[in-house]
Parts: sequence; C-alpha cells; structure tokens
Amino acid sequence: MADIADADAAWDRQSIRSLFDPATGLLDRRIYEDEDIYQRELERIFARGWNFMCHESQISNPGDYFINYIGEDQVIVVRDTNGQVNVLLNTCRHRGNALCRAEQGNTKSFVCSYHGWNYGLNGDLIGVPGIKNYYRDDFDKKQWGLAKAAQVDSYLGFYFATLDADAPSLHDFLGDTGRTGLGMVASQGDIVVLEGIQKNVIDCNWKIAVDNLFDWYHVMYSHASAGSSGFLNLSEILHPNNQLVMLGDYGHAISGPGIPKEMQDQIDLMSDEERAELSKTLPIRLRPRMAKELMGSTGVRSMGHPNIFPNLWVTIGGMQICLRLPRGPHATELWWFTVVPKDMPPEGRQQVLRTAVHLFGPAGLLEQDDGENWSQSTRASRGVASRKLGHTLQMGLGHDHVSTDPNGQTGIDTCINEHGQRWFYRSWTEWLAAESWADLSATRSMPPKEIV
Amino acid sequence: MEALKAKDNGLTAAKLNPGERMLIQHEAEHFLYEEAALLDARRYRDWLALIAEDMHYWMPIRRTVTQSDIDKEFTKIGDMSFFDDTREILEMRVKKLEAGSAWSEDPPSRSRHFVTNVRILDVAGDEITAESSFYLYRTRLNTEVDVWTGRRIDGLRRSGESFLLFKRHMFLDQTLIRSTNMSTLF
Repeated sequence: MADIADADAAWDRQSIRSLFDPATGLLDRRIYEDEDIYQRELERIFARGWNFMCHESQISNPGDYFINYIGEDQVIVVRDTNGQVNVLLNTCRHRGNALCRAEQGNTKSFVCSYHGWNYGLNGDLIGVPGIKNYYRDDFDKKQWGLAKAAQVDSYLGFYFATLDADAPSLHDFLGDTGRTGLGMVASQGDIVVLEGIQKNVIDCNWKIAVDNLFDWYHVMYSHASAGSSGFLNLSEILHPNNQLVMLGDYGHAISGPGIPKEMQDQIDLMSDEERAELSKTLPIRLRPRMAKELMGSTGVRSMGHPNIFPNLWVTIGGMQICLRLPRGPHATELWWFTVVPKDMPPEGRQQVLRTAVHLFGPAGLLEQDDGENWSQSTRASRGVASRKLGHTLQMGLGHDHVSTDPNGQTGIDTCINEHGQRWFYRSWTEWLAAESWADLSATRSMPPKEIV
Repeated sequence: MEALKAKDNGLTAAKLNPGERMLIQHEAEHFLYEEAALLDARRYRDWLALIAEDMHYWMPIRRTVTQSDIDKEFTKIGDMSFFDDTREILEMRVKKLEAGSAWSEDPPSRSRHFVTNVRILDVAGDEITAESSFYLYRTRLNTEVDVWTGRRIDGLRRSGESFLLFKRHMFLDQTLIRSTNMSTLF
C-alpha cells in the first residue's frame, strides 16, 4: 500500500493531466518508464475498464476455459454447466497458488495443486481436504469462493469483464465507436476464432504498441521492405489522402483508410452478390449490406483500425484482433486472435490463415519491423536527459473538421494524421487522473464535434 | 521410448544395411550443416537455392496444456501458426532481408544454428525424412539476445550431388515467444 500512497503523492490530478497537452500535442516521455504511473494504470485503467476476455467460439461447451488477464491479474474465463460465462481470478483463496496452469482446456472443476482445494466452474469452493478432521468442521466454505470479476458481459459474441462494480454497462462503455469496431469483425458473418493464439512479448511500453495502430504515417517507411519484397503493394492499402478517423467516448477510436462518402453511396445501392463480385477485382473485400447496421453509415466506410480502449486492436477488415497486455512499464505481450466466418469454404479459410500468418505476428512480414521501433522508443525514455524531451504528436492538429452524419455518427475525413494518437493519450490522462467511475464520467472530455 | 522404437521399426530405413544407413546419415547431416552454415553466413540466396519448389515451411503454435490435452499441444495444419510458407514466401523473406530497409534486420542480427540429434526417420525413393534438434541463438544490436530451441522434421529430396529441402516443420519449445520478432530463418 505504501507504493500507492507514494504514487498518489507524486502524481496528483494536475501533474497527470499535464503529461499530455491536447492543445499542443506534446507528450511527456515519463509515461513510458515511470513505475508509479504503471501501477496507477493497472488500477485506474485495467481494473476499472472493460477488458476483452475471449470470443464465445473459444469456450462453446460447459467446462471450456481460456486464461486471460485484466492488467496483471490472471483470470480464468469459463463456461459453467448452466451455460453462463464466469471470469474468476486465478488464485486460490487459501495460499494464493494459481489454480489453472494451462492456457486453455476443459474441466469439471478447478483443483489447487498445493492443498487440493476444489472450486466449481462458478467459483464456489466445493471441496476442502481435511475439513472434518483438521479444520474440525470449523470452516465456512461459502466465504472462500474464488474472487470474480465485478461484471461480465458480451457484445456480438465478444466477452469482456471489469473488476469495477461501478463501471457502466458494456454497451455504454463501448459506445458507438467501440461497437462499430467490434461490428467490423462481426460484419463478416457468423464468426469463429481459429485454433492458435500467437503470443509474443516485446520490450516496449504497452501504449507505444497501442498508439501505433492509429499511425498510418509509419507504414511507408517502417514497412518499406514488406513492399519491396513483393509481399504487399503498400500504396494500394494506404490511401494517404482518404483517411477516416472516428473518436469515441472513453478513448475508443478508429483510424485509417476510409471509403469516400460518394463511393460508399454507390456501394450502398449494390446487392451482396454484386459486392462479392466486385471484391474479386479489389485489394479489399466490400462489406455486406448488414454491416451498415453494425457499424453505422460513417463507420461502415472505415477500412482502418479500431482500438477498444485501452488495448484491443481490430486489424484490417476485422480479420484479426490483437490484445496488448501490460507486463511492467517496459514489456508488452501481444496476443493475436484470428477470425473467420463459420461457413467460409476451406480455400477462403486457407487464404485468411496465410494472410494472417504472413502479415502479422512475430514472423509476419509487416509486423517484424514494428517491435524494434517500439522497444527502442521505450528504451530511449529512460535516460535522464532524453526522458525530459517531449514526444510531438502535432500532425494535422487544428486542421480538420468533424462531420456528423444524419444518424449522429461523427467522423473526420482527412489525410494521414495523428488525431487517433492524441485522442488516445488525452483519454489516458483522464482515466489516470480520475479517482472513480463517477469522477471519470464527470471529468472526461466528450468526443470533439467541430475542429480537431 | 517404446513408442519411438515401434515407430522406427516400421521405417524403410531399418531395412537398409548398416553401410547404407551410415552413408545416408552422413549425407543428411552434411546437408543440414551446410544449409545452417549458409544461414549463419547470411548467404540467403545460396540458401534459397537449396529450397524445393514445393517447400512447406511450417511452425505451429505450441500451447501450455494439461497432460490430458497433450494432443492439443501444437496447432495443426489448417490452424494458426507462426510460419506457413511456400517457397514464394521464403523468397520474399530473403528479398526483405536484402532490402536495406528491413529495419528489424538492419543492422543485421548475428545468428548461430546448432543442429544436433539427427535421426533418419524414413527413406522413400529419393526422399529422406530427418528429425533433428535445433538451438538457434540470435543476438542483435548490443543488447538483444534470443534463443529458440525445438525439434525439426526436414524433408530432403535428392537433386544431383546434393539435396533440395521440400519440408521443414519446426516444433518450438516455447509457448509464449519471448522475442520481439522472429525475423530470422530457422
């Protein structure tokens, strides 16, 4: 507790809010290396917010479980015999041992390997060896069930959990922008997550990995070799002058190439069959008609990257989602989930698989070159002189206008920019400075509606 | 061990006389060492010349699972993986290494491939299936150190005086990959 008290003394509301200045785009590098800030992130962002757990297809049967994290708290996501999904802290209430050591599996109950305490799929403590002879029947099992996430809910089959009972509903937390982001995945149809989550750890601060997903400025340079090797035609996917940015409540955002409105108006007139036919001649797949219901009339134009605040990235077209899990200020685990429509024919599935493997993940021809940039940026935040130098996120600041469509959805049609990064860091300071959900709800900035 | 013996006894290799077995063992080992030396020397074009047109270069994802789920430890073909490459993709990887703008390999990494425990699993016509253990050490810049160990199943096909590699299946010992990337060829 002393650490937290010290952190509170060092970082008051004012000093946290000053770590990023939305008026100038200047960012304080200490956010990437300060241990007190990191501890505060675990409490005020990860424990407070809604965290992605898994997709329903990963735990379709009773007893199916998947291990994930809320910040650094390891949790078991498990479907019980009633079909309900529970999120349980993976720590025995007796001596704290991890109950579940496998990454995934199916079980009838969770038995601790230390003293054999046994927990049901809903977290109830159902067995304590020696309760009669050693405890002399003087122990109340009901008091010692596994700790649970305060709230668990799903949207479009994606399960999320929060440790904060005061958090708004998942629906309200996601807001229009978060729901649009998940809609991008679900607009492919009835989807499943494929077997095999790629996991690797990068020596970088988690926020550097997150803000990079909004950054379409780095693509031509960082990933130049993915272009020159013949793997990708970068200019075909980049569309530097047709970028669409959506800034959402609580820090969610979408940034990247966008279909111009006039072109979308024409697509809207086409049947699903016509769209599928035209897609064969394009580097992208046009979304089916129903996508508009899931993503809105502006959102459906996005071919970019949504981030569900704080750390869930939906990649191009919703083919993959990537979690960025914090592991101290200087390390981040990346978990890649790959998604296909259930009814996709084997050839199509093979194509998605190979694209996913060759594009992203630690061996991906694109992704290979990101990690070192992030780790070197993180490393350079530690020197006493270099950490005093701000980062600059000034691109496009004050030059763009937010449009509101007839359905109330907002978007920024522009060129390559840093709006997404600025919105992410602005929201980050607000989450970090707020003492509670009530405080955050009252003090957060609402998404801009005019000039950005 | 019993399972391994039973598997070996079914092999065509077992029907070869001791002299033939020794020769094949020597040829296969020699090829694997030469090939590893090309990668460590960064002679990627020469390495590519050893790759057959029908190459399948594949590294499944390994998971930490319970004993009862041990058949699910590795993902299968058709699931996600770390590498699932044809020769065409490997050629792109080589072009990328040569590009001068593959920042994760420029300045270039230093790698050392150790290939040991080579066992001939099968000989069928002009094709040999060899299993080996590998220890791949990579260091880059002044601080970065990566170690990957695992089991490899290689498919070698006779071609002139040497072999072409038509299959490389790599079974890593890590589940969470403890590296920034895997921009090195295994």
